[in-house]
Amino acid sequence: MTCSRLVILAAVCALSCPALALAQEDDPDRDLQPSQHDFTVVNLPTTLRVPKYKSAFRVTHRFARPLGQGDFGDLAEDLFGLDSGAQIGLEYRFGIMRGTQIGIYRTSNRTIEFFAQYSGLQQKDNGMFGLDVIVTMDGTDNFSDSYSPALGVVLSRELGSHGALYFEPIWVNNSNQLPSELTDDNDTFLFGIGGRLRVRPTVYVVGEYIPRIGYSPGVDHLTFGVEKRAGGHVFQINFSNNIGTTPAQIARGGFDNEDWYIGFNISRKFF
Amino acid sequence: MVTTLGSVGCDEALSDLTGPTPNLEPTFSSIQQEIFSSGDSSGRPACTNCHNAIGSRFNGLDLSPAVSYSNLVNVPSRGKAGAVRVIPGDPENSYLIHKLEGRSTIAGVRMPLGGPFLETGQILVIRRWIEIGAPNN
Repeated sequence: MTCSRLVILAAVCALSCPALALAQEDDPDRDLQPSQHDFTVVNLPTTLRVPKYKSAFRVTHRFARPLGQGDFGDLAEDLFGLDSGAQIGLEYRFGIMRGTQIGIYRTSNRTIEFFAQYSGLQQKDNGMFGLDVIVTMDGTDNFSDSYSPALGVVLSRELGSHGALYFEPIWVNNSNQLPSELTDDNDTFLFGIGGRLRVRPTVYVVGEYIPRIGYSPGVDHLTFGVEKRAGGHVFQINFSNNIGTTPAQIARGGFDNEDWYIGFNISRKFF
Repeated sequence: MVTTLGSVGCDEALSDLTGPTPNLEPTFSSIQQEIFSSGDSSGRPACTNCHNAIGSRFNGLDLSPAVSYSNLVNVPSRGKAGAVRVIPGDPENSYLIHKLEGRSTIAGVRMPLGGPFLETGQILVIRRWIEIGAPNN
């Protein structure tokens, strides 16, 4: 490369990089939204956008010890489940274009979920609600068995800066892990209802209830929690009747409404 | 798009569940052939080794192909009063399932006598056949 070409290249970089940085800083998707400051409520997705070429990471952790097992002394001895097994999940999501994010989520029972989410409508534009379309695909045993695709929409209604409500009808195919010859139902329709309420400037209470029709063993997913935002992090502690976190795991239901599990989510935005 | 996704969500293979009887299906003819009339690679003997026309004098159940269905479906057990061998649509209360699963409430011992016992997947197939009405198919 000749010296003159290097100079031209350096000049182009010098001129374009600040412009790119300025464009990114102007991206309203980078702004904090106090009503929905995270990409999930507990397990259900929100309509928060990942800015273009930015990303976020999340850890989910569900202790497998039922809180009602034994008396309070037993529970304290086990440090509320810390000494027991847990289902842990790691998630990474990335904004591939404005309003469109993709991601991968892996849980410690060797399930891998790929997902994509498209932001169709935003409440700030229509004054009514936000609407996203989500597509996911779970595969057990490191995505080599029991593939369960899901398709759904996320409807959100932001309540000023006080929080947001969500309604999320989601169809999950092949939710039953038995062969079709042994089952009547192999699809589950989830009707996710979720909410996030801001109780302090950076503290929220969250909850989800996910009734199902179709293949629906066990009990419907129910969870609630409290979370704290700290810079780009959100720390959430939650209580659920189910340790499942992916659409297919939620479709397969919780064990029993008498069994509750403590868990936490930690998310970090890289923007 | 839904159709595309549906076709992507491939179903699990029944043969992955049924272990030593990979051809087992939830039909009576398949159960008769793969379970009642044949042993398998696990070392399980055929049911008809004992449950045949001669053996039925002793244990009350002939599983020979010609009479097996009529001896099972809606037929009371001789071993346990009040129990019915196969109740169409109700695997949970069918005594055949109780004997194969070795429940604590059975009279006598778990079948096959002395084992090896049927694997969970094999029993699931028999349960499914009963669940769909125990047809003579």
